[in-house]
Amino acid sequence: MSVDLRPFENGARAGHDGDTDASPVVGRAPARGRRATPAQVSDDSRLAIEIRGLVERGELEDARDRFGALVAVHQRRAVRIAYQYLRDASDADEAVQDAFVKVFSHITSYREEWPFEVWFTRILINGCLDRRKARHRRDRWFVHGEIGSADEARVSRSGSPDSSPEGRLLARERRSRLAGAIDRLDGRQRTVFMLCHYGDCTPREVSVITGLKESTVRVHLFRAARKLRALLGSHT
Amino acid sequence: MTTRKLHLDEERLFECYVATRSGDVLDPPAAEHLADCPACAAQYAELSGFMEQVRTEGDAEVDALFTAERLRAQQQQIGKRLEHVGRAARVISFPGPANGTEIPSGQSRFAVKWLAAAAAAGLFLGAALGASYEWESHARAVGHIAAVSTSAKRATHLTPVATRGSSPAAVADDDAFLSDLEAALERPRTRELLPFDQLTPHVRDISTQR
Repeated sequence: MSVDLRPFENGARAGHDGDTDASPVVGRAPARGRRATPAQVSDDSRLAIEIRGLVERGELEDARDRFGALVAVHQRRAVRIAYQYLRDASDADEAVQDAFVKVFSHITSYREEWPFEVWFTRILINGCLDRRKARHRRDRWFVHGEIGSADEARVSRSGSPDSSPEGRLLARERRSRLAGAIDRLDGRQRTVFMLCHYGDCTPREVSVITGLKESTVRVHLFRAARKLRALLGSHT
Repeated sequence: MTTRKLHLDEERLFECYVATRSGDVLDPPAAEHLADCPACAAQYAELSGFMEQVRTEGDAEVDALFTAERLRAQQQQIGKRLEHVGRAARVISFPGPANGTEIPSGQSRFAVKWLAAAAAAGLFLGAALGASYEWESHARAVGHIAAVSTSAKRATHLTPVATRGSSPAAVADDDAFLSDLEAALERPRTRELLPFDQLTPHVRDISTQR
């Protein structure tokens, strides 16, 4: 089983429940002629190759130890991306854990021509999309409570101690408005925006992750920013 | 002088912002124009300020939720889960008869007799009690009808609430169940029943109205 090869699978399910996330954003093979061969292998990719070698030789204990370093490098970024996708801390936590476990389980299928970051991000985002879809489906049928209320309380508590209740309330409103605006973006726009903005990826890297052309990524990014400005402009 | 008249449009300004953020070199004519034109420079500053604010707020929210402690706990959790990767599942053997506690043959025959007698007695008592209970319940049934009907009325006030299982297996079951439901809704015969379904109030609609 390979984890990152899901070409157009999402597209086949698109439109079945109106979830725009189902668009075939992540999981496509890179466009022909645009191989993601990095000029030089990054440190994390080198580490991933080393871990792959250890796993192939059956030295699982050492591989696990080395994998801890990879987790430490990518964890915060992964959490940011997952949280912005799922807007629920527990879900994001699980999604990140699942992504790392999946990466380790399938490390033998990792290939050098993919930067490790790209490979990992694809796995993470596919997991997040699946979770969003499952949640959307559950919400259609089940009575549910406020998911983010506990998270919201935690964020409010963690605000600067000198901030007034009004300030906290305003910040909370701003956050929910921003989340609502991002949620209103088209599936591709949202993915591109999140990867660039919260995942610190360049348009070129997003292009490799998503399989879209770099110019298309730039267009999506611009449209996403314009839409966000239109939705939030007067409130920021 | 002509460059001053042609202001940078929103898309060009955004390209400049993306290039700056990615650490790329700015398009020289655009960079030159930004340096010369205060109106475009102000627009650029406003645009990059907005984008940075969106980013800072998002990052701050995540950092508040995922503290260093929580990230450490997450790392430990990942470590624990990785321990099970690549290991074959443990098979727990079915408990067999304990060794060395066999009853000697003479005693065993005696014990078997007593066991059979006790089982027969138990069966007889059970049957007798069951028959008497049935007789009594039949006699009381008429008297209970009124009480049952009132309690049933009370029970109708309680709304069943569908809850979400917390274990991963329960969630997976839910998903499979919901997939089946949705597949059933897509079937041609079910589609004809959808108008009737729309006439029926749904729990989800009521919950959203609240």
